Amino acid sequence: MHIFSVILSELPQFLKGILIAIKLAAGLLTFGFILGMTMAMLEVFGNKIISKITSFIRKLLWGIPQIILLLLVFYLPFDMNPMIAAIIALGLCSSAFQSQIFRGAILSIDPGQIEAAKAMGLKSWKILLYIILPQIMILSVGPWTNEFSSEIKDTSLAYVVGLIEIMRQARYIITYTYGNSLAIFFFAGLIYFVLTKIGNTIFFKIEDLLWVPGFEKRRE
Amino acid sequence: MKLNSKFFVLIIVIVLLIPSYVFSAGNVPVYKFGIDAACPPWTWVEKGEVLGFDRELIDFICQEEGFEVEWTDIPWSTIISATSQGKIDILGGGLSFTFERAEIIDYARVHFKIGTHALARKDSTLTAENVFTNGNKIASQAGSTEYKWVQEELKDKGADIELVGYESWDDAISDLETGRIQAVVMNQPQAVAYSEKRDVKIVAEDLFVDLIAYAVTPGDPYNLIPKLERGIKKAYDSGLWAKLVEKYMPWSKVEEVPYPADLQQK
Repeated sequence: MHIFSVILSELPQFLKGILIAIKLAAGLLTFGFILGMTMAMLEVFGNKIISKITSFIRKLLWGIPQIILLLLVFYLPFDMNPMIAAIIALGLCSSAFQSQIFRGAILSIDPGQIEAAKAMGLKSWKILLYIILPQIMILSVGPWTNEFSSEIKDTSLAYVVGLIEIMRQARYIITYTYGNSLAIFFFAGLIYFVLTKIGNTIFFKIEDLLWVPGFEKRRE
Repeated sequence: MKLNSKFFVLIIVIVLLIPSYVFSAGNVPVYKFGIDAACPPWTWVEKGEVLGFDRELIDFICQEEGFEVEWTDIPWSTIISATSQGKIDILGGGLSFTFERAEIIDYARVHFKIGTHALARKDSTLTAENVFTNGNKIASQAGSTEYKWVQEELKDKGADIELVGYESWDDAISDLETGRIQAVVMNQPQAVAYSEKRDVKIVAEDLFVDLIAYAVTPGDPYNLIPKLERGIKKAYDSGLWAKLVEKYMPWSKVEEVPYPADLQQK
């Protein structure tokens, strides 16, 4: 069928789109990770005022649709590379979700552990580094994999700021072949499915590596 | 000794890399040319390459006027505000002239006149007389002059229709084929192309004339409008214009371009 040969001949372009999507996902997840972890720490360990402010910022970012944030960041009155704009905008949204994951993980650590560590004379930063952070990592991998799956698909919104990722590439083909939307969107969906599956497999392996006796396992 | 030779190799590598940073900047200015890249025959993308009427014309103008463009793809719904904010330097790809848009972007002189048609499904019994009646769903691309025309000249004046906006023309045609909407009001070049390639036909012609012109950031900070107008004139005088019209829009007349400025005066 004609459309299959067109998709085949456009594979290099789809590959470019995939690379852009992966770059964007990696960038926004890292940005979201750093910001999200910071917000989670501030919200749990900060004093009343800091905790309230952080909580408010988190709820704000949670409530604004990603596409609006993308346009808001892109239309700031200075020159910005579309990739950077997309990473910042989508990263801000992701940080709200990620901070909830980390906050949940922190709160599920038995406070008795922290009291025992204090009683043994460990300084605060050492408690954070040696007791809290490792446990956050183990507890967060599962829910974080969900966040990864979600964000890989959200990269498709970046076309509004001019990034030629998978969906835009699909649109190009639909335009110059004057149709075949079903076949091409199905193929694009397949790409996202494969990317998500590969990512999930990697994170399940990481979860297995990090697992320590005493924690629940997601699967046997 | 080992450290020394490694050190020298590093220095040599850095020195060799410097020219690539300096000379890759080039001494020809590069401007961002904004298009909604899925808009034939003006522009479309095949295998990563921007093709179309605008591609060939702008390549010629760049050569004649001594600058380069970087093709930037932004969806139509936001491309005009992107231009007025300076996110892109030149706007083209089938941009129509309107007085409202002229308040926020600076237009060059009009270089093309195209008609607007209404498309219906091939087996439809609609005609030019009854297509805009009976509560029919009429669709167009959101933010386009076609959409605005249906809104202002039909719906606002009491026509019994429902106006539906789509992000892309292709979505509108797909819905037209499945029967979710009754007609699509679309610019002539794309209407003709779709009527040949899909299960749709033209039922009403020449609803209004659209004026196509390039636009730049307000104030024309890089003095691009004279360059564009000169380039278009050179394209016409050299015969390239006639060739491009024949290649991309063979049903159009070849007229002297760019058109006089009074076409854009109120």
